[in-house]
Order: sequence, then structure tokens, then C-alpha cells
Amino acid sequence: MAPHTPDPRTRTSAKRGPSARSNLLWTWLMVPGTLWMATFLLASLLLVATLALGTTDPLGNPQFGLNFQNFAALADPAYRAVLLRSLGYALLTCLISLVVAYPVAYVIALHGGRFKNLLIAAIVVPFFANYLVRMYGWSVVLSDDGPLLKALRGIGIADGDTRILQTGAGVVAGLVYGFIVFMIIPLYAALERMDVSLIEAGRDLYGGPLRTFLHVTLPATRQGAAAGCVLVFLPAMGDFVSAQLMGGPDQIMIGNLIQDKFFQGQNWPLGSALTMLMMAVLFLGMLGYLRRARKDEADHAEAAR
Amino acid sequence: MTLRPALRPKPRPAAETARTPGPRKHGTRPGTGGRSRPARRRGRRGTGRKPRLAIAVTAAFFALLYLPIGVVVLFSFNSQKSLTVFKDFSLRWYEAFLRDDHLLASLDMSLRVSLVAMAGSLVLGVTLALGLVRCRSRLGSLAGLIMLIPLITPEIVTGVAAMLLFKGVGITLSTTTVMLAEITFSISYVTVVLRSRIAALNPETEEAAMDLGATRRQTLRLVTLPALLPSILASGVLVFALVFDDFVLAYFTTGVDPQPLSVRIYSAIRFGVQPTINAVGTLMLAGSIALIVLALFIPRLFGRRGGLDLLSGK
Repeated sequence: MAPHTPDPRTRTSAKRGPSARSNLLWTWLMVPGTLWMATFLLASLLLVATLALGTTDPLGNPQFGLNFQNFAALADPAYRAVLLRSLGYALLTCLISLVVAYPVAYVIALHGGRFKNLLIAAIVVPFFANYLVRMYGWSVVLSDDGPLLKALRGIGIADGDTRILQTGAGVVAGLVYGFIVFMIIPLYAALERMDVSLIEAGRDLYGGPLRTFLHVTLPATRQGAAAGCVLVFLPAMGDFVSAQLMGGPDQIMIGNLIQDKFFQGQNWPLGSALTMLMMAVLFLGMLGYLRRARKDEADHAEAAR
Repeated sequence: MTLRPALRPKPRPAAETARTPGPRKHGTRPGTGGRSRPARRRGRRGTGRKPRLAIAVTAAFFALLYLPIGVVVLFSFNSQKSLTVFKDFSLRWYEAFLRDDHLLASLDMSLRVSLVAMAGSLVLGVTLALGLVRCRSRLGSLAGLIMLIPLITPEIVTGVAAMLLFKGVGITLSTTTVMLAEITFSISYVTVVLRSRIAALNPETEEAAMDLGATRRQTLRLVTLPALLPSILASGVLVFALVFDDFVLAYFTTGVDPQPLSVRIYSAIRFGVQPTINAVGTLMLAGSIALIVLALFIPRLFGRRGGLDLLSGK
């Protein structure tokens, strides 16, 4: 245990003896939760990491070991294609979410007036309803004779052969529908915090709406956008429902592979290795984001000086 | 994966969590001498003309957001099997659901899992959050880091890990294993939400209690916990809704029979839809939306600002 340092937030009056005594209570309060998380979360993640280095015996039972053959197997072009596709879909999902979420968050934050909270609630609440039911409804909407394609055919944008389901576009549409809320919330928060007089200044300096947006609004809300991208990228990268419902066999993502290795394929070590690979990719992405964020903060401090 | 709220790991100072509009009322700022071009000064000042394009995008977004939900609800009342042609209003799919013993068993299981996860994660999460905020120790910062893992990894990772752990120890997957996995996930959520709440508490009330002779434990029971009660209740309701709707974790940790409702829905929509799923889906949507709205309003029942910060974890 670390030596107890008196915590300024739990100042005990002098009569009450050293604060170490009260600190003991807080420490004890932490024990059950910490033990639980260590057992069920940390141990299980370590198991995945360990098993990724294992093998299967001829019966398909996982064997612990210490070899890298699973990771070597991942070099297979088929796996690489799936990984690249997942990356591409997840990045595209971020991009589309960003393009859609910006105007939505902007309108609500700056022109929402009294209805701001109501509008944000109207966006957030459905996202907390059942993901599968929403995805299923979305797949009905996007289906070949669903309302969306009917409407597009009606105005002549699509013809009889245009399909959304069973294509990559369908998978990305599913991912966007699933996770765009994670883009809207941080963007909305950033736009809410933004000083509106900046936009006025941009206009006073004869900047058009587009220029004002690019040179004023966008830089001021960059951190919100970056946070939104991370929050969308993480679940999009691991999702396997969208590719299953909206895509065909040619659109599978890494999540589908992992699921397959654990359920149908019965190759747990390989599934674990795939999981580790996905984690590695996400970790790199997070690292990049954190470094950017730190640099941003440093720049801000620089500018303030 | 079921969506869990996006949480910010950074507890922020209380000043920022109060969502006051601040001094930036659009329009009337004193002292903007008439430097701006009068042509643009119709109606509201501040952000210029209404961004028509952005408003159009927002309208389209709302339409597309609610269309899928509307479709599910509408066709749950369809007298035909079709998902494209609505014939007459009927309740036959709801009847079919109530006659389906498998689905009812799933509903029962989902409810039990949600209740247990709510109770377990509240007990463990509230104590953990109190400890994390109040006690600065190495154990604390480590626990704080472990807790963030579920929130920054895709759910499939924790799902796979939990499944391996149970099977590795030789536990057969069942309702119990789903409960254990869901508690683990929910602890993270409860802890993060309550951490910022505890950090925002005014320490003076507790100090006053101590000065009046209350012990640490009495202060906790009579002052701190009552002050946190609205947040605890609200996050509990939200955990219930999230666990009930959760799919990925349940999918990896459930046994063969019974299966949680969301897993049952998943198999149903993969292998051809029976319209009964529309009815089940509609009931689930109604239930979780009701719970979430309830969670948002709980703080108001206690005479405080209700808020979306529960969801965004701010």
C-alpha cells in the first residue's frame, strides 16, 4: 500500500486525529469492486492474450503454449483483406458520421433555442433503445423494396437494380446508424462551449458562411470532432451485427471472423489472436488520438501565453 | 453491440459540469457598435443567417433516425406477414408473442439478468466510486484504469474474454454467467457516472457533520449517500435498460436455453423474420425508452436539474 497522504478533499478537523484513519474506510470501500474487476475483467483479458499464443489439438481443444503460429496465420492475405476492410469501413463510418453530425449538432447548439435539450434527448433516447431492433428496422428501411429505395427510384436517383443491402454501402450505413450518436454528443458539447462571438467576428470580417465555418467553427471544435471519431471508431471496428445484417459474405469484418472462430470454427486460439490484433489496431489509433490531444493542449497553452 | 453511453474518462471540475448557457446569449451583446453589415441584420444576430443547408440535413437526419423505429412499430400491428405492405391493424403478433413459451422464457431471463446486474453493479460501483474519489492510493489509480477498459474496447473483446474465462474454469454457460458478465460491464458505467458526481459534492456538508460529532461511517450513511441518491437511482435505472438491451456480451456468455431476449431476436432476424419479432421489438423499444426518460427525470423528482449528462457521462 502507498503511504497515506492527507487528502485535501477529506480534511478532518484537527480534533479528529490523522486523516489516515478515515482513509482506511475509503480503501476498504474500494476492495470489493476492485477484486471483482480484477477477477472478471483483468483475468479474462489476460486469458485471451495467453491463449492467443496457444494451439489447438487435433480435436479442436485449445492448448496453452508459447508459439506465434496464430499470429503467423494472420499474415494470410484473406485475413489481411478482412482487417483492411474493417479499417476502411470504420474510417468511412467516422467520416460520414462527422459530415452528418456537424450540421445536426451545429443547428441544435446554435439555433436550437429553447428546444436544445429536447432535440438532443430526441437523438440520444432512441440510441439507447435496443441496438438489434434498431438495426433490424434499418435493414427493413434499406431493403430492396423498402421505403428508401422506393423513394430514390421515385425521384429517379436509383433504378431497379440498385441495392443497398448485401453491399459494402449497406454495412457502412448500418454502422453509421448504429454509432453516429457518439459523434453528435461530443460535437454538440464543443459547439455549445464555443464562443459565438467568434462567428460574429468572422462575419464582421466579411467571411462567408463557408469560410467562417472552415476558419472559425472547425478549429474551435476540433477536439470534439476528434473525440467523436474515437468514440465511433472503437465500436464500429468491433461490430459484427451490421456486416451480418446489411452485408453479404464478401463484406465480413474482423468482428465476424472473431465470432466465427469462437462459435462455428471452434479455433479459440486463432480467435484470441484475432482479438489481440484488433486491440492492437485500436490501441494504435487511441495512442495517435491521445498524442494529438496532448499536442493540441500544448498549443493552446502556447497560444494563451 | 448494445450501445453503452460514451463516457469520458476525465472527471471534470464541477464548474464545467453545470450546463449553464453562460454569458453567451445569442444576439444581444452590448457594445457591438454598428460595424456589421446591416443587410445581414434580420432577426437574430449572432450567428448570422439561418444555415438552411444544415437545417435541411438535420431534418433529414431526424427522419432517417426515426424511420426504422417507425417501421418496426408499424408492422408489429400489421395483419399480414409482409414487411412492405400494411394491410389492417391487428394485434395478432402480440398474441403470438404471448403464446410463445420460448420467447416468454427469454423475457423472464432478461428481466432477471437486468435486475441482478443492476443490484450488483450498484453495490460494487457505488463503493468503488466513493473509494476512488476519496482515497488517493496506487491501488486506487490502478482500479480506476481497469475500470475504463470496458468503455474503451469494443464489446466483442470483453464478450470473448468473459466466455473464455468461464469455459476455461470449466463453468457451463448459463443465466448465471450472463449475470456475472453484465455486472462486470455495468460496474464500469456506474463508477464513471458516480465518480464525477461524488467529485462535485460540496465537502462542507460532510465536514459539518463530522464537526458535529458524526463518525466517518455515520457521515457516509446520513449525508453522503442521501446526497448521491438521485444519481444512484438514475444510473441504476439506466443500467437496467442497458443490460436488458445488451446483445454482444449476452451472446457470448449465454447458455443454450434459455437465452436472453436480445439473443433470441438476433437468431430470429438472421434466419428469416417472423413478424412476432416486430411485436417483441416494439415492446422492448417502448420499455427501454420509458426507462431512459425515467432516468433523465429522476434528478428532477429530487428537485435538481435532470440532465443528459447521465448519458454522456459528463
